[in-house]
Order: sequence, then structure tokens, then C-alpha cells
Amino acid sequence: MLARVANNLFWMGRYIERAEHTARFMNVNYFSSLDAPNKLSQSRKFVLQSIATMVGDVPKKEKDLSEEDIIYNVGLNPEKPYSIFNCIKYARENANTSRDSMSTEFYESINKFYHYVNDFPKELLIKSGLHDFTTHVIEQTSILRGRIRSTLLHDEIYALVLLGINIERATQIIRIIKTKHEDAQKALGGYSKPIENSFEWTTLLKCCESYDMNRRFYKKTPNQNTTLEFLLLNPNCPRSVMNSLNQIQNHMATIDSLKERDKTSAAFLVGKMRAEYEFKTVEEIETDVSKFIDYTLQGLANICTKLDYEYFNY
Amino acid sequence: MKSKFTNPLFSSYIKNEGLFDEIFDDNKKVRKTYKKIFELYRDHSNSDYAALNEKAKAAFFNQGITFQVYRDSQTQEKIFPFDLFPRIIEAKEWKTIEKGALQRSKALNAFLWDLYHDKQIIKAGIVPMELISSSANYLRQMQDLDPPGGIYNHISGTDLIKHSDGNYYVLEDNIRCPSGVSYVICNRNALKRALFGVFNHYQIHNVTNYAENLLEIMESVKPHGVDIPTCAVITPGIYNSAYYEHSYLAKTMGIELVEGRDLFVENDFVYMKTITGPKKVDVIYRRIDDGFIDPLEFRQDSAIGVPGLFAAYKKGNVSLVNAPGTGVADDKAIYTYMPEIIKFYLGEKPILNNVHTYHCSRPDDLKYVLENVDKLVVKPVDEAGGYGISIGNKLTKEEIENVKTVVKENPRKYIAQPIMSLSVHATYIEDSNSFEQRHIDLRTFTLLGNNKEFVLKGGLTRVALQKGNLIVNSSQGGGSKDTWVLKK
Repeated sequence: MLARVANNLFWMGRYIERAEHTARFMNVNYFSSLDAPNKLSQSRKFVLQSIATMVGDVPKKEKDLSEEDIIYNVGLNPEKPYSIFNCIKYARENANTSRDSMSTEFYESINKFYHYVNDFPKELLIKSGLHDFTTHVIEQTSILRGRIRSTLLHDEIYALVLLGINIERATQIIRIIKTKHEDAQKALGGYSKPIENSFEWTTLLKCCESYDMNRRFYKKTPNQNTTLEFLLLNPNCPRSVMNSLNQIQNHMATIDSLKERDKTSAAFLVGKMRAEYEFKTVEEIETDVSKFIDYTLQGLANICTKLDYEYFNY
Repeated sequence: MKSKFTNPLFSSYIKNEGLFDEIFDDNKKVRKTYKKIFELYRDHSNSDYAALNEKAKAAFFNQGITFQVYRDSQTQEKIFPFDLFPRIIEAKEWKTIEKGALQRSKALNAFLWDLYHDKQIIKAGIVPMELISSSANYLRQMQDLDPPGGIYNHISGTDLIKHSDGNYYVLEDNIRCPSGVSYVICNRNALKRALFGVFNHYQIHNVTNYAENLLEIMESVKPHGVDIPTCAVITPGIYNSAYYEHSYLAKTMGIELVEGRDLFVENDFVYMKTITGPKKVDVIYRRIDDGFIDPLEFRQDSAIGVPGLFAAYKKGNVSLVNAPGTGVADDKAIYTYMPEIIKFYLGEKPILNNVHTYHCSRPDDLKYVLENVDKLVVKPVDEAGGYGISIGNKLTKEEIENVKTVVKENPRKYIAQPIMSLSVHATYIEDSNSFEQRHIDLRTFTLLGNNKEFVLKGGLTRVALQKGNLIVNSSQGGGSKDTWVLKK
């Protein structure tokens, strides 16, 4: 397979996944803030700040945080590289450049999806369409993943797309945790005082579509301990970093099964990180959550750099 | 004059007496070939048909079967308008077209070999040397080079029209990178989905065998010493207007679609950059114009080509399909010599007619053209896509003067032909929600390889959607129809 095409497939996977997480983050934060238990987490500024932090574009002055701007920028603004519109546009462009290796069914889905986003009116999004828009984006990305799984040959093309999806998923989950962890530190209080029981942990789980399953697994109100353990370390939670790392390792093996023993390879790096995660405990993490978050982000970035160098360097 | 047809979709059909109508004969009777389909349309109300039409359009758009239009330095995504009423060609009629297209392709190939070797046709005084030497598409780098299998124009597109006398005329030959074949196949698929019932009543040749034949043609011109060649399609990229076609052809042939930056040349061999390292490429179907294929040899500013590609080609280490330098022979000025060219190389009479052409480079012709701009179609000899064409009877006085000035300034650049009357075909018009007469042409696709030849039994029928318009190119708002070649 061409290195350029491989790179495009990888990024197509990343952009599809990124669109979904961005849409869900905006959706959950916006709507959960409407009846949040304390004053700060109910305030517009607080939730807008949180959304702006997630996409990495926080205005310098707090008074510049306008609700309309932020919803438009994150949703549809073609000028903002992080907007959902651009994620879908880039995903489709990447699919375009490798159209000969895609199935017609998959291409048709992504193309239709792009036209939906492209035709969505700005005014509608800002005034009343936020819920419909983000929900539709989340549903369409699920359809795309379904089409990928059910219509592509499960060979290295498939592995590369899934590699992109899982690396992006792990990265986004970590970034969401980072943002909400910071929120939890700021918005103390509510049902009870300390940060361990903050309302923000519930929001965090909802942002990762893991709230119901978390309740089922622990049978109690989420707190810092159970939330972090679930989202970082539980291999059975489909959104956890552990789960993504397991999948990343599998797909690396499809692309190049011989490289794992080469200690300079990306496959080796993935194996190493996965092994570290497997035997990590939440108690170790809790002593310094921020440090562990940054460490994980750095680890994922290193894997990408290695992948770039090893496979996509054309 | 207006005439009544019992079919509701044709209730407002106006048959213009001066034009050749493919469906209705002079007595306004449906021609035999169209009888069945015309009857089947009787079952459709106008609103049924409008719904079918919308469905077909949405399918094209969602599948991304689109092209880009350049206007005011912006590109726009558009679907290629598609008409659900197929054009039907009888077996006997097709036989002539097929033979004629093949004859022209072979003659052009022989002509190219001669031009880049001994130039006997010029020595014999049949084609003037200055026509060749002044052509921007003549590549001196191709002189004395023997392309594998002796083939230059592996792929030819022949543009034909049916004149009011009922005969086919060739309007031009396209032997650089003729496009449109993917639409032939897409149109067929769209029609099969929309009007499946109709197919039971006609025996039609299928068109899906194009890709396998193209791959065989490519493999037949593999470089010397290669056992199983690695083939690839090279495209300028996703913003090219024909990108859909490039990806479609690569996908259906099962070969890589590459861009210039995916390839590199080392020791005069061409490689593509894969995730497991370099892989040698032997045959390239290039959809990049001559000037851009290699910045070391041709245009230095080309960012879409491959440095060193031409040197590798010259050494015989890679085959290019079509060969560089074919543009010299599909020049509209050369077109006028086609009858002589066919006679000279094949010793045969041309099977398909040529339209009489006036060369503005000849003083007598120039004089005639300047005096009769209103009765002629004036075309630049080296523009593609229908740009720069003026049609005499559509011009204002002022515009006629403009044309005269432009032609006088650079006579070599222009030719003129009598205004040919393209045949018309019933075409669904959205604005009136009914069928109207529209002009059509036909592009056929011919493949030449090493001891192998193939003509696609079908073609691209292009239709000028604007009333009275004679230019059918997609960049000028043209659409297309599925084209059926009957088995008997």
C-alpha cells in the first residue's frame, strides 16, 4: 500500500473519531450545565470555558467568551481547524484520496454525512439546532464505523483506519478527562464538598458515553476513583484508554507482525505502553492525576511520531 | 410547430422540422428502435418521472460522482447532469461506427510513429511541415523513440455527431487523456436502477468490460524483460475535474492510484513509496498532461509530475499510456487531413466522414472565413473543453467583429467549419417537467495495445441542456445519456 494513502486512511480514522468526541463533549456539557447542582457549574461562562478548553482555543479575556461564537466555532466554522465541520471535511478528503481502496458503501456514507454538515445553517445551530446537530453527528460516526467494519476487507487498510480511530479515541478520552478534572478542581461543592465526589465526574462519564455502564459496574454514584479507574484502566469499557491500547496493539500486528521485537519500532512502543497500563492501579494514579494524564498524552504522541517515521514518511 | 402526442410526458414536445430527431421520423412516428421504450413511458405520469429524476440525481450526488468546475478562481462541486431517456443505436449502425473509430485510431497511431521517425507523410507533401513544427504539442524529445509495441494512442476518444442528413461525422479525435468512460458505466448503473423493467425488452451490449480490457492493454505494452508488470494510474489529485474517473478506473482495474509525489525515479527505474518500502512500477496510465509529467524534461514548475520519469521512459524501463507527444495528432488543424492520413497509411477509404474545414493559416480560406463568420463555427486549434468556440449564427454584429480581429491577429490558431446540425434527442427538462428536443453527440472509446484492440460497445452521449445550444461539454453545462448498442 502507498505510504501516502496509508497516512490518509490513518487520518481519516482520526478525524471521524474526533468529530464524534467533539460533538458529544459539546452536547453533554451544554445540556448538563443547565441544571447543574452548584452556581459555578451552572454558569454559562464556566461551560463555555470548558468547551473552549477542550478544542484548545480559549479566548484571552473571559468577556470574549460568547455563546454564539463558541457554538458556531466548534460546530460549523470553516475557519477553525478544530470545528466538527472541518473534521468531517478532512475525513472526506482523506477518503477521497484513497477512494480506490474504499468500498462504495462506505464512501457514500461519508459523502452524505459531509453534505449534511455542509448544508447545516449557521443560524439554526446557534438558535435551536445544537442538540439535533450534535446527535446526528454522533449517530453518523457510528454508521461510518459500522460500514468500515462490515464493508472493508479486514486487511492492512482496515487496520490503519482502526489504528487511527483508536489512537484518536484514547487521545480524546484523555483530553476530556483532563478538561473535566480541571473543572472538578474549580467547581468544588455541590452534593458534598471534596473534589472526589464532584458533579463533574458524572458529566465526564456522560461525555464518554460510559455513565450507564459505570453505574452498572460499580453500583454507586461515580466519584473520582471509580470514574478514573473505569475510563483509564478497565479493559472491558469500550471507551477506556486500556481498551484502545489493546486494539492498537492488535492492529499494529496486522500491519507488520515482525516489528514488535524491534525496540526502535512503533509496535514495540505500543506494547510497552500497553503493558505499563495493564498493571497500573487507580491508587497510583490518584496521587497525581495531572501528571499521569500528561504522561499518557505524551506516550500517545510518541507513538504517532514513530508511526509517521516508520510508515507514512513519503 | 406544435404537435400532439398521446404520451403525457410528450404532450408539449415540439418537433423542429429542420433537425434530425433520433426518436421521431419526419411523419412524427416513433422510430422502430424506440417504440418499446416510448410505450413503457406511457405508464409514467409527469410527477412519477420527476420523482425518478430526483432519485437518480441524489444517487449521483451521494455517491460523489461529481466533477469540479473552475469559475472565478473557485471550484464548485457539481453532478454531471444525467438524462433517464437512453440513446439507442442499432447493431448495423454501430458496426460502422466501431469500424470507423478503430480505423481512425490505427491511422493516428501510424501517423504518430511516422512523425516521430522518418516523416514520410511530410516528404510526400501530404501534411505540411509547418503545421507540425508550429504545433505546441509536438515533442522533439520523442523523436526516434520506439514506444513498447509501437503504440502511441492506447486510448482514443472519438467525438461523433449525426448531421441532419442522417450520417455520422467525426468532430474531433481525442488522443491525449480522453475522459468520460466512467460516466458511461455510471449512467448504465443509474438507468438499471431507475428503469429496470425496460431492459427486458432490449438486447443491449454491456459496458462493464472496459476496465478489464484497459488492464490487458496496459499489460500488453509492458517494458521488455518484465514478467508480470505492476501497473498504476497517475492522477493530478483530488481537485482535478476528472478525479472521480481516475479513482474509478484504478478501483475497477484493482491497481494503485498514485500521485506524482508517490513515485520517484532511481537509476532510471520508477518506484512507488509503500508502507513497506519502494516498489517498482512498470506501466503507468497517466492522466497528467504531457507538459506536467516530468519537471526535469518539460515544465519545470510542475508539482504534480515525477522528476526523471521521462528518462526512465526513454530507457524503456517504464511504459506510459498514452505516450507523450500524442497531442500533435489530435490538433484540430491535423483533423482536416484525416482522410488523407487514413489513405496514406492504411490504403483505405475513411469509414467515418470528416467535416469540411477551413484553415485560417491558408490565405484563401482566411478570406472566406472573415467574410462568412456568421455562417461558421470558429474554433481555436489547441483548446479543450469547448472554450473559445464561437458559433456564427448566435453572434451579435459586435461579436462578429471581435472574432474577426482575434482571427486576423493569429490565423494559425484558428480553423472554421460549417455549422453542423447535431441531431436532437428527447431529453427531460426539469423546468418544464416534460421532454424537449436537445442536441446530442457521441464519444466512443477505442483501445490499442500490442496485438490487441478493443472498442467499447457503448459510449458517452453528451447532451446540451440549454435550448438550442450546440456545445455539449460538461464544463459548459452539458449532461449525458446512457447509450445502448443493440446486439441485433
